[in-house]
Amino acid sequence: MKILKSIILTMALLLTTAVSAQTITSVHGTVSDDMGPLMGATVVEIDGNGRIIESALTDLNGNFTMKVRNQKDKIRFSYVGLKTVTFPINKSTYNLKLESATQLKEVVIKSKKRAQGNGLPIPEKEISYASQTLSMKEFEGLGLTSVDEALQGRIAGLDIVSGGDLGKGSTMRLRGVSSLSSLTDSNPLIVVDGNIREVNLDNFDMAGANDEKFAELLNINPEDIASITVKKDAAATAIYGSQGGNGVIELTTKRGVRGKPKLTYSLKLTGTYQPKGYEMLNGDDYTMLMKEAYFNPAQNDEAASQFNIPEINYLGNEFSEWRQYRANTDWRDAVTQWGLRQNHYITVSGGGEKASFRIGGGFDHETGTMIEQKLNRFSTRVALDYNISERIRVSTNFALTYTKNKMNYDDLLAIALKKMPNMSIYEKDPLTGEDTDVYYNMLQSGNYIGSEAFKEDQRKYVNPVASAHLAKKDRRTYDMSPELILNYKLLGMDEDHWQLNWRGSVYMNIFNQYDDSFYPQELTTTNYEGGVNTSYTGSSKSVSFNTKQTLTLIPAFTNKDHSMMVLGRFELTSGSSSSQGTSGTGLPSTNLAITSPAAGGLISSVTSGYNQWRSMYYTLSAHYAYKERYIIDATVRADGTTKFGPNNRWGYFPSVSLRWNVIEEPFMKWAKPVLNMLSIRPSWGQVGRQPNQNYLYTSKYGYSDRYIDMSSMAPLNIRLTDLKWEITTSYNVGIDLAFLDDRLTLTLEGYRSTTTDMLMANYRVPSNTGYATIPYRNTGKMRNIGWEFHINTNKLIKAGKFYMDLNANFGNNKNELLEMDEYILDGLNSKFGYNNGEWLRRVQLHNPLGAIYGFKYKGVYQYNYNTFVDMTDEQRRDFLASGKTAPVAMNADGSLILDATGAPKRMVYDYTNDGTGKNYNFNGGDAMYEDLNHDGQINALDITYLGSSLPKLTGGFGFTFTYGDWRLATQFTYRVGNKILNMARLNAEAMTGNDNQSQAVNYRWRKEGDVTSIPRAMHNFSNGPIAYNSLVSDRFVEDGSYLRMSYAQLNYTFKKKQLKWIGLSRIAIYASINNPFVITKYSGVDPDIVNAGYDPAIDNAQTPRSRSYTLGLTVDF
Amino acid sequence: MKKIIYNIISAACLTLPMVSCSDFLEIKPQNEIIMEDFWSEKADVDNIVAGCYAALESDAAIRRMMMWGEFRSENVMAGPDCEKDGNLQNVFKENITPKNFYTTWDVFYNVINRCNTVIKYAPEVAQRDPAYSTSELNATLAEVTALRALCYFYLIRTFRDVPYTTEAYTDDDQEMQLAATPFYTVLDNLIADLERVKSSAIARYPETQPLYQTGRITQDAINAMLCEMYLWKKDYQSCINYADLVINSKKAQAEEKKQKTGRTTQSSELRLKGYPLVNNMRSTSSFGSAFEEIFVTGNSQETIFELMFDNTNAGTTMLSNSACGQWYGNSQADGRVAASNTVVEDAALTNSRTVFDDKNKKLDARIYENFTTGGNVCKFVYRTLSINTSGSDPEASYSTIFRYNYAKINNVDTWYTSSNWIIYRLSDIMLLKAEALAQLMRDGATDEDVAYNTPYRNQAFELVNVVNQRSICKSTLGDDDTLKLTDYSTKAAMEELVLRERQRELMFEGKRWYDLVRRSLRDGNTKTLCQIVGRRDGPNSQLAQNFFGNKSLWNWAIFWPYNYEELTVNKNLAPNPAYGDGNTGNIE
Repeated sequence: MKILKSIILTMALLLTTAVSAQTITSVHGTVSDDMGPLMGATVVEIDGNGRIIESALTDLNGNFTMKVRNQKDKIRFSYVGLKTVTFPINKSTYNLKLESATQLKEVVIKSKKRAQGNGLPIPEKEISYASQTLSMKEFEGLGLTSVDEALQGRIAGLDIVSGGDLGKGSTMRLRGVSSLSSLTDSNPLIVVDGNIREVNLDNFDMAGANDEKFAELLNINPEDIASITVKKDAAATAIYGSQGGNGVIELTTKRGVRGKPKLTYSLKLTGTYQPKGYEMLNGDDYTMLMKEAYFNPAQNDEAASQFNIPEINYLGNEFSEWRQYRANTDWRDAVTQWGLRQNHYITVSGGGEKASFRIGGGFDHETGTMIEQKLNRFSTRVALDYNISERIRVSTNFALTYTKNKMNYDDLLAIALKKMPNMSIYEKDPLTGEDTDVYYNMLQSGNYIGSEAFKEDQRKYVNPVASAHLAKKDRRTYDMSPELILNYKLLGMDEDHWQLNWRGSVYMNIFNQYDDSFYPQELTTTNYEGGVNTSYTGSSKSVSFNTKQTLTLIPAFTNKDHSMMVLGRFELTSGSSSSQGTSGTGLPSTNLAITSPAAGGLISSVTSGYNQWRSMYYTLSAHYAYKERYIIDATVRADGTTKFGPNNRWGYFPSVSLRWNVIEEPFMKWAKPVLNMLSIRPSWGQVGRQPNQNYLYTSKYGYSDRYIDMSSMAPLNIRLTDLKWEITTSYNVGIDLAFLDDRLTLTLEGYRSTTTDMLMANYRVPSNTGYATIPYRNTGKMRNIGWEFHINTNKLIKAGKFYMDLNANFGNNKNELLEMDEYILDGLNSKFGYNNGEWLRRVQLHNPLGAIYGFKYKGVYQYNYNTFVDMTDEQRRDFLASGKTAPVAMNADGSLILDATGAPKRMVYDYTNDGTGKNYNFNGGDAMYEDLNHDGQINALDITYLGSSLPKLTGGFGFTFTYGDWRLATQFTYRVGNKILNMARLNAEAMTGNDNQSQAVNYRWRKEGDVTSIPRAMHNFSNGPIAYNSLVSDRFVEDGSYLRMSYAQLNYTFKKKQLKWIGLSRIAIYASINNPFVITKYSGVDPDIVNAGYDPAIDNAQTPRSRSYTLGLTVDF
Repeated sequence: MKKIIYNIISAACLTLPMVSCSDFLEIKPQNEIIMEDFWSEKADVDNIVAGCYAALESDAAIRRMMMWGEFRSENVMAGPDCEKDGNLQNVFKENITPKNFYTTWDVFYNVINRCNTVIKYAPEVAQRDPAYSTSELNATLAEVTALRALCYFYLIRTFRDVPYTTEAYTDDDQEMQLAATPFYTVLDNLIADLERVKSSAIARYPETQPLYQTGRITQDAINAMLCEMYLWKKDYQSCINYADLVINSKKAQAEEKKQKTGRTTQSSELRLKGYPLVNNMRSTSSFGSAFEEIFVTGNSQETIFELMFDNTNAGTTMLSNSACGQWYGNSQADGRVAASNTVVEDAALTNSRTVFDDKNKKLDARIYENFTTGGNVCKFVYRTLSINTSGSDPEASYSTIFRYNYAKINNVDTWYTSSNWIIYRLSDIMLLKAEALAQLMRDGATDEDVAYNTPYRNQAFELVNVVNQRSICKSTLGDDDTLKLTDYSTKAAMEELVLRERQRELMFEGKRWYDLVRRSLRDGNTKTLCQIVGRRDGPNSQLAQNFFGNKSLWNWAIFWPYNYEELTVNKNLAPNPAYGDGNTGNIE
């Protein structure tokens, strides 16, 4: 079509030069086709840019008359179904016959599938960088609630850990962690339609901000997304420069398509619940445990009464609160519930030659899996495209999301798991013993009548049910992002001409957040000193502005073996945020009606903040291909930022990638019938990272202590003039294979990336500078090596109406710290304090991060020391031979260590002569740790390597079965060979405090001779004996390998003819299960835990991923 | 086509707004003051100058002034709570390694850097702020130069050769790894600096600010520093000249005050021979008023320069003296540092004394002012002191308020006192002058030598005697009560007398170890030092004497080792050879 059009155009141009002179002010004539005169045919005058200047329609008889504005313009005739023709205006009468478009002879147009996204529109076969694209067509009809869900298990090398909290996002790591700095973020960059969302609220903590940033993915309705591309290597992310250092996830949203307006309505109903985790003790077991825990350290029956703990002794009337402490409350059950979610979404799309549009709007209502959590979200997205002329197109996008999130004030689940189960939720009626409607909390310290034993823990735990119902924590957010885009084809408009296209865009992001919270006095359990009826109101605003100017040059070579594209872009970003907040206490409390700090209490604090950021980028990117066989891409990007001082403000990040399509070589012709792609893609690139803090390069002055009556100030820091970009240099080699006309595609990638000049904190400098450390310095080097593999199929197995497809990917990443300043390293490594539950962080050169260190656990000493001492030598031999255990020290050869008097030496913990150590004597029922160096005591020297939290393999796979209108899709994710330090279990089995414990402790050691792996209950008194039964040991280090079914979904689409009678064009219904099961040996609630930075993977009892069941319906009108 | 070209040009213009690049990327914090906005008026300079003092009296600095100048001497030993601080214990055991925390010096360099910053930017402010006159600028420069010199003086007396810089560190690309500059080079620089600025320093602060006169650098303070520095430099005549400047200035001030208040000289003051020392006599049978005036009230007339602490008990308006509070004791706990058995027993005995041996025996008020019979440090700690001489022996009593109060800050008991930390007072200068005079004497005993020595001897003796007599707890001084000139006729005897008098007078004021180091440098050997160290409680005295007696390394051993971390990060700093770099842990 295009070719024909241009031929006509060229001819028309030639004609223009031939004929001239005559002045034409109007034209008239008749338009007809084979059947006779045409009514309603369009006649237009178009200018050199293709813009319509004047137009007219033919009448009943096919006649028309039209004014002509400029004789140099052209005249165009068109009619639906007929071929459009264009002539120069060189005569005043046009009588013509339009040909039927369908009668034209066939023209073969080579259309190449091109990379969509922010860079050059490179044909798919010429892409030389490492990336992976998911078309949302694959997910059409799938009940996905968020984009991260779609990505889970689908992208090789992308590790996603999803939290279970409502509205909270996921943590993502692409190809491992390549930065250790607290100044940088490790999540990949999210780009939506070429735009990076910049919300920067300075009252956010960074961890929270990351969650928020990723929750942004939730703000884009999956229904609006056309495709997702994950860009992995430096060559792929090069056009994002320093922003893309952790990889890039590019989302492209859907736009309107030409055709008659289409209305789609979709509905999803989802039920969710949380997997349970450890079973906790009930009230009866708990009180029994507490009595033992208080008895054991003192070995004294009076212990429990010595501490006078009426709450666990089922006393009668002598304890006024007795009725409140004889329940068997399942606190977790009381605070969890089935969450329900309904998502409604309507889209209208359509368009004509001039304009197309797509408007989407959705409403979500969600109740959480914790009681009293509620989320309402309204979102809308509008995309409009208007072709002013063939050369100029204006597009505008507008997205708005309003969220109202009613959250829990306290972490209910954490409290529920700790709260004593023999306490009742509601206050019992003193006469009848029935529940009243008042929530029960332990009494205040002032007039408290119970025991002091619970002062520091149980009394501080609020009644979680009461907190859920009475406390308020609301957050409202408005997120708006309008965008205006102008496309201008400056030169040619097709591949036969040199093309120079300009694209200019302006994008804004406006984010407002309002927080309100109130904590009523009913929930204040410890004392009133900190204030009661506390309330907070705050708001944050962030506005950012971004403009991009892009010029793309596509030369048209006469020799079609060459093809080339060049892109130049300038981008500028500027933004600011501000926040303010007011807290008040002592508000008048009237049935929770007054909750604003302005209501007349005491204003306890007023805070405000201001933040500002700016950046500037230049990008130059070029693509060249010879015979579609040898391809080279090169990109250089210059980033300017406010984060560095004038010397290092600009960073330059180059990348080069090559592709050799081996399959296109003549010698590979034989393979063509089977193999349709074989290519090798080497690439190299550099990206930089900038700190997320401003003003590091300024010298700040702050207040110092006064002297005499003089106020004083002092320079606070050395400005970081030298601070520069953290640079990651990476190499990548990829191999693409495709068989049988893309029915099976394979990609294999290998990479090595080295991060240098890492931005590390607290760098020690000679103190003759006046400072002992400077806050940040570029130092250290680390490396990531890994490989990835993924397979995709397209109708792999075909049998009649039946299709089957599969996708699979796996990958592995290894990191190693190569260099690091020794003081920084020293500061990162923790020193062992010999405490229960204390884990050691060891960061060592030439070792991977995330190693777990601890003691070796050998079980529980069955017998007391004294029992063993009292035996004769003979008995001792038999005792040891039979495998029984007592806390005595052994030599390396297994013989007893005896003291001067011949008595066996007792095993001790952290023994020091001067008494500064813990000097704890082990006894029967205590945890038995391996004395690795056989020095007769357990101390830091017995700590050993217990495993790595880095998985050997991660990945996912999925199957899709289609039979006619039925479709079944499944997706699995897995991780193999990683270890997790299960601190959640450690705390649930420690038996050292008053917190509720897991049911596993029912198998604890209770009397001599018991054979068990759970030590005895030993309460840790603050100034009394402390047992060391819950040190970090391999008892709590577990294999974190798992296989999870991410989802399974069954989908049925009604046939169009079945729906004709109700006037609908499509109905699809589906049912899906998300996260129905996890196959794992891991004992915790969810093995989806990865190491963060240099720390090992630690299960801190975070909210697990919920399981959900969804019913969905999509209707096209 | 023209239009298209025009379009390209306009697009290119949009694409390349290079002009405003650097301005665009320049943003400033809105809630902090940055250097570019700071140095604009006199008040800014004044604030930083105050910040120099605030840093100099920070806990870490006071601790080091206390420790470096004294804790290796025989005056002190480990107190009751000392085991909580292993580093302190090791100092008392004379087991100081480069890993000892108290070898860190960053607090002094922090002050030095603040001073250097003022010296760098104050002249710029003077150009910007017309209200900041040249004389004011020069006074500021003199003040911070003197503070900087004081810090370096502490450093070289402690570490011998130290990294020396007059550059302000503002950027991380400055040269930070400085090699140590030799002791005497630094000393010469300090003297040259002070000679340069001494005349522009403020001589008298306005009377509306009486605390500035003793709490800030004055011409007297600079002269006092020069006096001591020349003594270290062995330029005794200059030392004497500067001591005279200080003494005369203090005399003039006292005279002026006397005329203003109309107070007449009391008979009890006659023993002070016109030196404006604080009178110690309350009544004929009660002594100890000098202690209260100098150490409790503070800012006494004999003070030349002292660091001032908050005297409200909560430490609300300025810093409190937590260093003295913890190390010397407070109302809740005994100090981690105690007066050593050597000096306590010496004071208690009637015979064979080494410290309090010169004549007046138990009548020396400083026995009671310095420590209690139980060995608690009394100076800087006790709030009242009264020495009653109505009985046969003087009796010290510490009435009602036992010690300084502590403050509760953020609900944590913080053991603070409000004692000012005295850096120079008149008796110190007098004794420095006496030491210089003694050095001008000749060793020989020929008539010619005696004739030569007499004026120096008489002058030196008078100075020592005045200081000594002030502390004699007797209303009328008999011949047997005072020092006798005839006992100190030789240079050696006079030198010993001055050294002992300094020990008695300035005990626990962070001076004793420096006196011994100065003595060793002057003698070219550590004979005296070893003898004195041999009397210490705590360390293995043989080991310590061997250490200090080492023929090749004694002149490093008497100084402190450089900190291990400093040695690691500063490749140009060579370890103190007597201690090594801390990796071996051995003391040679």
